[in-house]
Amino acid sequence: MALLSEQDQEQLRNEFAGIQQPVKLIVFTQEFECQYCRETRQIAEEVADLSDQISLEVYDYVADKEIAEQYNIDKIPATIVMAGGEEPLDYGIRYYGIPSGYEFSSLIHDILMVGDGSVELAAETEQWLADLTEPLHFQVFVTPTCPYCPQAVLMAHKMAMASELVTADMVEASEFPHLSMKYNVMGVPRTVINEDFHVEGAVPEHMLLAKMQEAVAQILKF
Amino acid sequence: MMELDFNFGMPDEGMENDYDVIIIGGGPGGASAAIYTARADLRTLVIDKGLTAGALGITSKISNYPGVPGPISGAELVEIMRSQAEAFGAKFLTDKVVGVEIFGETKSVIGGTGVYNAKAIILATGSMGRTSTVPGEAEYLGRGVSYCATCDGAFFRDQDVVVIGNNDEALEEALFLTKFASNIHLVVHTPDLKARESLAQEALAHPKINVRLGTHLKEITGNGKVEGVHIQPRGREREHLPVSGAFVYLQGGKPITDYLMEQLETTEQGCLIVDENMQTTVPGIYAIGDLLCAHIKQAVIAASDGVIAAVAIDKYINQRKAPRSDWN
Repeated sequence: MALLSEQDQEQLRNEFAGIQQPVKLIVFTQEFECQYCRETRQIAEEVADLSDQISLEVYDYVADKEIAEQYNIDKIPATIVMAGGEEPLDYGIRYYGIPSGYEFSSLIHDILMVGDGSVELAAETEQWLADLTEPLHFQVFVTPTCPYCPQAVLMAHKMAMASELVTADMVEASEFPHLSMKYNVMGVPRTVINEDFHVEGAVPEHMLLAKMQEAVAQILKF
Repeated sequence: MMELDFNFGMPDEGMENDYDVIIIGGGPGGASAAIYTARADLRTLVIDKGLTAGALGITSKISNYPGVPGPISGAELVEIMRSQAEAFGAKFLTDKVVGVEIFGETKSVIGGTGVYNAKAIILATGSMGRTSTVPGEAEYLGRGVSYCATCDGAFFRDQDVVVIGNNDEALEEALFLTKFASNIHLVVHTPDLKARESLAQEALAHPKINVRLGTHLKEITGNGKVEGVHIQPRGREREHLPVSGAFVYLQGGKPITDYLMEQLETTEQGCLIVDENMQTTVPGIYAIGDLLCAHIKQAVIAASDGVIAAVAIDKYINQRKAPRSDWN
């Protein structure tokens, strides 16, 4: 049975009609021992079917280990949204766990953003990212029923798209309890930057930038 | 095996995202501003948490609002103002604002239902806010204490939790938590619930919700994370409830500015500062009513502020040299 309603399929078809550049979805899954791998794969298939501009590759986390390593995938289910076509480009945009509930709209938004080939950020942010010399890794912890989480996910994904040095993961908290415990997540959204820095809530762009600046200052100290 | 309601759907396309003016707070200040901005043909959106979230909305009887001898309830008066604004084309959305982007030409308002853009924003969120005053509340924030059940409910699957509050928001969140928690103690500091009737009935009837009226939350305790709360029913001994989560929806008397995330300067008491046109130091951002901690905190004062802001916004957006008087 389809996960997407007819109505949503139609709406998405219309939204995807404007996609300028090819988008590639990559899903890492597994036969056994993966709670929502099947559904994550299914939703990716259904979404990819709605546009000729969206392609999908599905890999087995174990059997296709080298490919998982190539994309730095360390847990499943994992979904990558990247530029496809003749010149594929991985922006570092990741979803760990099933992108359901409110996060489904994040997935669609990312597809449209990557399909557009450009990201909108404030001039100050763009300038700072252009001068960035150290890597930043975002892990945005969410739950599917959290209405404010997509804002935090989208902001992190925008940063990833804007800079080669930035990667950003949505992490669905209830599927990865060991990670939730490691980073003391009991309230979402919680954005962890480079292990040691965190931001609570869906903060405005310049506040996230300030935190990113703190994280980089820490790296440069050593 | 964890159950998850697979919900793959796009947000309701009913609400548009771009407006001339967004007003945060739909009480007498916000609604009056909306009457004037909508009449001036400015596309107006009012985002409001709920009728019983504000000071006028929870007032049981009001007799001194000029032109309305009444007595009528505060909620009825607010509804009259809102209907009037809607009649001129203002849109009303029930949602909670969690963030705003105030700098730049296009402003944005982040709510649970989406992100909305405007050329100007009026902050009309009043002063029913509070800081973390319950012992343990600040300490355990994010470690079992939460202000958002829809965000954090999933962390309390099959556990006992407490919800503290008496209004629409508290009840809606308590009902949401029934999807996850095994048992919800609804601790209500007033003798009755102050929410709309249908919601109150639903909460009272739910088998997972245990309502404790006339009961105060005294302390939140734990060890690294929340393990219990101390409550005190009126005239009785303190009780301890073992819970893993405490969802707090209390109201106080402080200006509600948390969603601003300190982007605007406030006085020591947390009040916003504006000029005679209700404009803050950020162009296009206005603040009215109880947020200003004015000498007199009354609905008619908030309404008047709202109109001053609306007229100033008309001038700001339409680049008028002087404010346009609306005599009609």
